[in-house]
Amino acid sequence: MENVSKVYRDVRALDGVSITLEQGKIYGLLGRNGAGKTTLMSLLAAQGFASSGEISVFGEHPYENERVLSRICFIRESQKYPDDFKPEHAFKAAAIFYKNWDNALAMQLARDFQLPMKRRIKKLSRGQLSAVGVVIGLASRAELTFFDEPYLGLDAVARQLFYDRLLGDYAQFPRTIVLSSHLIDEVANMLEHVILIDKGKIILDDDAENIRGSAITLAGASARVESFAAARTVLHREHLGALTSLTLEGTLSPAERRAAAELGLELGPVSLQQLVIRKTLDAAGVEEPADSPDAARKNARMGASR
Amino acid sequence: MDLRSPALLRRVWGDPVIDDSKPIFVQIAELIENDIVDGVLAEESQVPSTNEFAAFHRINPATAAKGVNRLVDDGILYKRRGIGMFVATGARAAVIGRRREDFYEQFVRPMATEARKLGIDGEQLAAMLAREPGLGTQNMAGQREGAM
Amino acid sequence: MNRAVGVAKMQLINKWTFLGIPAVILVGSFLLTLAIWAIIPANVGTVYSGAGQAVMWYFFGLGIQALTLTFPFALGLSVSRRNFFIGTVGLFAVIAAGVSALYVVLGILETATQGWGLNGRMFALQWVADQPWVVQLFFYFVLMMFLFLAGFWGATVYRRWQATGTVIMVLSLSILLLGALALISVQGWWPAFGAWIITLTPGSIGLVVLGLAVLLGVGAYLTLRKATP
Repeated sequence: MENVSKVYRDVRALDGVSITLEQGKIYGLLGRNGAGKTTLMSLLAAQGFASSGEISVFGEHPYENERVLSRICFIRESQKYPDDFKPEHAFKAAAIFYKNWDNALAMQLARDFQLPMKRRIKKLSRGQLSAVGVVIGLASRAELTFFDEPYLGLDAVARQLFYDRLLGDYAQFPRTIVLSSHLIDEVANMLEHVILIDKGKIILDDDAENIRGSAITLAGASARVESFAAARTVLHREHLGALTSLTLEGTLSPAERRAAAELGLELGPVSLQQLVIRKTLDAAGVEEPADSPDAARKNARMGASR
Repeated sequence: MDLRSPALLRRVWGDPVIDDSKPIFVQIAELIENDIVDGVLAEESQVPSTNEFAAFHRINPATAAKGVNRLVDDGILYKRRGIGMFVATGARAAVIGRRREDFYEQFVRPMATEARKLGIDGEQLAAMLAREPGLGTQNMAGQREGAM
Repeated sequence: MNRAVGVAKMQLINKWTFLGIPAVILVGSFLLTLAIWAIIPANVGTVYSGAGQAVMWYFFGLGIQALTLTFPFALGLSVSRRNFFIGTVGLFAVIAAGVSALYVVLGILETATQGWGLNGRMFALQWVADQPWVVQLFFYFVLMMFLFLAGFWGATVYRRWQATGTVIMVLSLSILLLGALALISVQGWWPAFGAWIITLTPGSIGLVVLGLAVLLGVGAYLTLRKATP
């Protein structure tokens, strides 16, 4: 996508978005509610239209382009199904259009998710509805598959099942997968590349490993911590009594690690979730009051499911 | 291919082996190295495929591959076309050698720092070490080979 | 093209929608009519029934349904809008042709059996049945296509422009219609208009309706091109 914008009346759903998706990777599309994740995906699948900018998928514009479209699968978070369809009907339909459709896999997944195949889709629970979409997405084996917040309504067991099946099938049949999610901690280890979007703008677009390695926490006696970190960019600061914990940008060389250990300072990693939260808040220009324990609680809540 | 190695098993008992402390591929490489050192993965034995690692630890297969490839580059593992990844001869010695060099940084220095904090001096440290079986200076010669 | 056929197949996955219910309506209204006629005393003369049109109105609803319910799903499966249109409308055309043929046949049977032995007229309405069977076929077919496309078009407008847009569309059409009526009145064209109406045959009405159906179809397609799920 090159400089794509999508404007709805007075809201810029996407603002000057430029990203490139490489084939065969698992992408995480992260961001808050309404940040633009679904819009971005629907534009790539030509279900929605850009107000400006260029989009190209497999080298061509996807709009009304059957050559390209037949290789894409995008089942939305609240996908509508024909009125009297049951899951078995939906799968039959998917089989018609996806040449890589694996029916055995679909049946197996339906069993795993305990999907009632003979019940009308409109009578399914929220979790079962999500499961239908997930099964179609996985069994389609489409070269470009989008999962739009696929975990909604799925309990922890079902989610884990989805992740496991996704990884397993991806390992056997590599393809490009774009997964949008709020539950960053759960999917962090599965992602190869992370795209973070906020208010229609891309604020992070990098390999997951690079992001993880881009910050470090340092904790200990306030005076020592502060002096040690004097020359570095501080992303986040927390106090507890005489202790301070800083999240610093960058990493420490072995020599610096030694020095920190000598000073009795503790080094710790920064999880992908914490980094994402940090970046999002920074982009929004939210200033954390330095001493606030509320800040820590707010951070914890933000990562929780919707 | 024995998936029941101690390092790999830790996840089954609920203790997450893969965490945020280091890049994931580094952790994968280290897990395999641990098993080589412990003797669970014998030389010339087969190592689980990258897909199996990825599935087991619930990580991206590309990341698992990166970890395995690092070991291939280091000469610890090698690939037999059409069959899979195997532990190279001499791998154990190579890993042990490297870890011995890191031993001072990884273990001795932190121990020394902590000892200083607690006011434990060199003599007391030596006395503590002597209590450990196999570490007293008299026993070292006999214990050098085949330490498990 | 294959994917358009795929769309047709998809619409048929649930056999009831396109096949089952029309069949039920046809059979049901037919039998019901016969039952009612059997009750009416025989000396009343020719009895008429509008049962023939019952299924037509279902087709209108079907047009709406075919779009509203299946379109978002088809898009999710990455079907192009063009193939969705061709597949769905094409499928219905086949069904309409079939039902039209059925009507013609039933009309012939009706005349042959003196109105099903009850002097009734359901399918062989005088005015239409006197035409050659080709014209009859054409007439019924065009009527069904018109109703289906009307529903389809309406649903497409709603999908693209939501409630506001649909209201505006309806108002515009009403204004056009009123305008046309006003024009006729003002110009004193009523007598001429009346004379023209009398000369209309099923064939010529069929052509007019065909024209409207084509308009609806084109309109629906153009609107669909920019519709989102």
